[in-house]
Amino acid sequence: MDEFQEILQDFLVESFELVEKLDEDLVELENNPEDLELLNGIFRVAHTVKGASSFLNFDVLTHLTHHMEDVLNKARHGELIISPDIMDVILESIDLMKALLETIRDTSSDAGIDVAACVARLDKISGGTGEVKSPEVAAAPEPVVEEAPQEEDEPDYDNMDPDEVEAEIERLLQERQAEDKARREAKLAAGEKVLSAPPEPIEEGEASSGSTPPPPPPPPPPPVAPKKPSPEPKKEDPKAAAPAKRTPAAVEQTIRVDVKRLDHLMNLIGELVLAKNRLIKINDDVEERYEGEEFLEELNQVVSIVSLVTTDLQIAVMKTRMLPIGKVFNKFPRMIRDLSRELDKKIELEISGEETELDKSIVEEIGDPLVHIIRNSCDHGVETPSERIAKGKPETGIIALKAYNEGNQIVIQIDDDGKGLDVEMLKNKSLEKGIITEKEADNMSDKEAFGLIFKPGFSTAATVTNVSGRGVGMDVVKTNIEKLNGMIDIDSEIGAGTSMKLKIPLTLAIIQALLVGVQEEYYAIPLASVLETVRISTDEIYTVEGKSVMRLREEVLSLVHIGDIFEVERILDGGEHAYVVVLGLGTSKLGLIVDTLVGQEEIVIKSLGDYLKGIEGVAGATIRGDGGVTLIVDVVALMQMARDVKATPMIESQAASGVTEKTKASDYTIMIVDDSKTDRMIMRKALEPMGVTLVEANDGQEALNILKSGDHNFDAMLIDIEMPRMDGYSLASEIKKYNKYKNLPLIAVTSRTGKSDRMRGVESGMVEYITKPYSSDYLSSVVQRNVNFKAEFL
Amino acid sequence: MSDKLKDIIGKQSEQQNVAIDQLDDVAQLVGFIIGEEEYAVPILAIQEIIKPFPWTRVPQVPSYVLGVFNLRGAVIPLIDLRAKFGLQTKKHSEETRFIVMRHGDDVAGFVIDRLTMAIRIKKTNIGPAPDTVNGDDTIIDGVGKQEDKIITILKVNKLLERDF
Repeated sequence: MDEFQEILQDFLVESFELVEKLDEDLVELENNPEDLELLNGIFRVAHTVKGASSFLNFDVLTHLTHHMEDVLNKARHGELIISPDIMDVILESIDLMKALLETIRDTSSDAGIDVAACVARLDKISGGTGEVKSPEVAAAPEPVVEEAPQEEDEPDYDNMDPDEVEAEIERLLQERQAEDKARREAKLAAGEKVLSAPPEPIEEGEASSGSTPPPPPPPPPPPVAPKKPSPEPKKEDPKAAAPAKRTPAAVEQTIRVDVKRLDHLMNLIGELVLAKNRLIKINDDVEERYEGEEFLEELNQVVSIVSLVTTDLQIAVMKTRMLPIGKVFNKFPRMIRDLSRELDKKIELEISGEETELDKSIVEEIGDPLVHIIRNSCDHGVETPSERIAKGKPETGIIALKAYNEGNQIVIQIDDDGKGLDVEMLKNKSLEKGIITEKEADNMSDKEAFGLIFKPGFSTAATVTNVSGRGVGMDVVKTNIEKLNGMIDIDSEIGAGTSMKLKIPLTLAIIQALLVGVQEEYYAIPLASVLETVRISTDEIYTVEGKSVMRLREEVLSLVHIGDIFEVERILDGGEHAYVVVLGLGTSKLGLIVDTLVGQEEIVIKSLGDYLKGIEGVAGATIRGDGGVTLIVDVVALMQMARDVKATPMIESQAASGVTEKTKASDYTIMIVDDSKTDRMIMRKALEPMGVTLVEANDGQEALNILKSGDHNFDAMLIDIEMPRMDGYSLASEIKKYNKYKNLPLIAVTSRTGKSDRMRGVESGMVEYITKPYSSDYLSSVVQRNVNFKAEFL
Repeated sequence: MSDKLKDIIGKQSEQQNVAIDQLDDVAQLVGFIIGEEEYAVPILAIQEIIKPFPWTRVPQVPSYVLGVFNLRGAVIPLIDLRAKFGLQTKKHSEETRFIVMRHGDDVAGFVIDRLTMAIRIKKTNIGPAPDTVNGDDTIIDGVGKQEDKIITILKVNKLLERDF
């Protein structure tokens, strides 16, 4: 049974690949019904599937493909011209074939799908009566049969004795050989068209699509027919020939790899990138500390090699996960064909850049949004032939589907030459539906108005057709693209057409991010959504109806503080300046106020896991060079959240902290910061008589840690200036950053007596400046004055 | 015949008594203190026990979820059991530890006040959770009785379950 499963798997993989190609080929065939090469290719697919399915006992599938094969075979021999009506039936049968294959994939059997009607139609086309025997009788598994091509009136093999079968095979083989010979000659006569054209079928299609009304005459042979080796030798085994047909002459060596392994590899690379970031940071630290040492150069070299190789490795692994976007584009020619028949419009699809590569996971996600957009273009964009002629446009509308690289992104562009978007109409529609207000409509730029089609509940078609226009399509498109960290750009001109650009990052796992700081926290913002950053002073921020806004060049930009979104406690004083990160998603913009900009970094996206999933505004987390975790901002959600956030004033009113009633002398707490034990002792001796609580710290760093730990509520600090690790000035300015300690008296106790030293002391926030040596009474009185020491405790 | 059988059964039970420490009817637990109480979780549910280190706050979560931290490249949530059990939070001390527990694919770190020890306890000495807290929702798996004290045994899967 396992062996059977294995064969079945191979069969399914092969069949799906073949079928995928089939749609495209068939549509092309309709334009170019005399292209024997194409016909043969399609025939072989039907034949291959039939052969394999009969071997695997899928009777229904065999039955269907058998009749498809009949029709195609006739066409192949020129006994049948493929008309649009016939094509409809063939396409229908291929849809059925797909459905059957899917059923087989899911249930390992092909029961449950009725093919009788379609088979009857196929039979009629191939000249039969339309009365077809049920599959049980028609196709008994007979492996021998698949070796030979089927003639239109196939003898009933079931009733033959072995000798007759042999004879029949012999006859068929001869016929087939003669046929092949004839075909080869025909091809030579056609000027080796296949050879001169590149193997891509699309380009052939483009070349011939210029002359629209089918059937066009076969293109004349090129003047100098190149005498190259004849095209791929036609093999007797159709199985081998079918997949080989599209591959270039030099067969690429490929190997099938389980996606899971690639994912694992990608995860490992992610770890490596993190380690690399960490290494770079350590290198910077070491460089600072051991400036000028010889080994530094060596270390530098190693670090840069590691970082270079890691980057290359990352790109290489990313490439293994890349698929050509053609895999998605393939299904569109067929879709356009069906749509144009359904809508009674003449539409042509031009595809280019289908070899552009994208990460597999993105290729899988991008299909549905594209289907929506193209349907929309067909339905609402391109006009009916009569309208087009009235406007002086060619009768056939053109939808161009393009993909290309642009920096770190892939751009997929969908252009139509239809009627374009009418800004006024869009605004009126949105007003009617209550999506926007009158005021908003008046202030709207054209770009913003185009963006309206992505609003939920918006549908531009006056009548709802069954192609598109239920008002759900485009906003789903937008969310799907944004899920991929992508953006949609839309441009349109009335009467000339609409152009949509989807910009999508190459990969999902590793992204470029802008790191920003707020208070003591850091957040990473995907760089793809960052338009620019500006430094503003706080008085440039205006409040309108409870929302913060600022003027950015000609525009009014609404602002939101990242701290309001992520509930960050305001412990540090914001200062007079702030940075605004301008985020852009499609046509909407938002200014995010942050305290600091840290820089750009390559980050690896990690999930927060099941326990913390779905936190609004957080897309995931990453691990930074220092080993800490930084949250990644979900820009889409953030823009939603920003609407509901009320602006809080930049500087919060000073909270009354530490103003507890002092009932005894020991309620007063004073910190002594000095690196000299003797000096600390002297200060202690001076202050002890007051009965206050004293805490000692060795240097600025230690003092800051004690302060931050919040174990004591200090009333004053005595600070020496010259200390290791962190000196008195830095300590004072660090402390003054905290709102809480704005009013904490800092008293410098130092032997530095210069005027400039005093000035620096004042600048960094010291209130008193005591020079050594001092009398203990003086120190005590200065402290008493600064802490409002109550006289009764003395 | 039946004598022989009894003999064998008797011998077997004797052996069991001897080997009680390494057989199935002994639960191996790790005990820890939160507030005043001693709790325990099965030793096999513990991935590791580490000293506290910095974590990153996560917005919009209950106060007992402190945030996330980096455990050798994995981002793991950190939950304060004091806060979760409704006790006053207190500053981390020298004895504070993070216990990283795993159940299936779910992993999280839990802040505890202090470790006690690894405990072997006979399953017969483990009683069900008190009636008042019975039911599927309870976080208590059972109550282990030792000579001088009782230990509350917690359900790891419940601890790791998101309840907000």
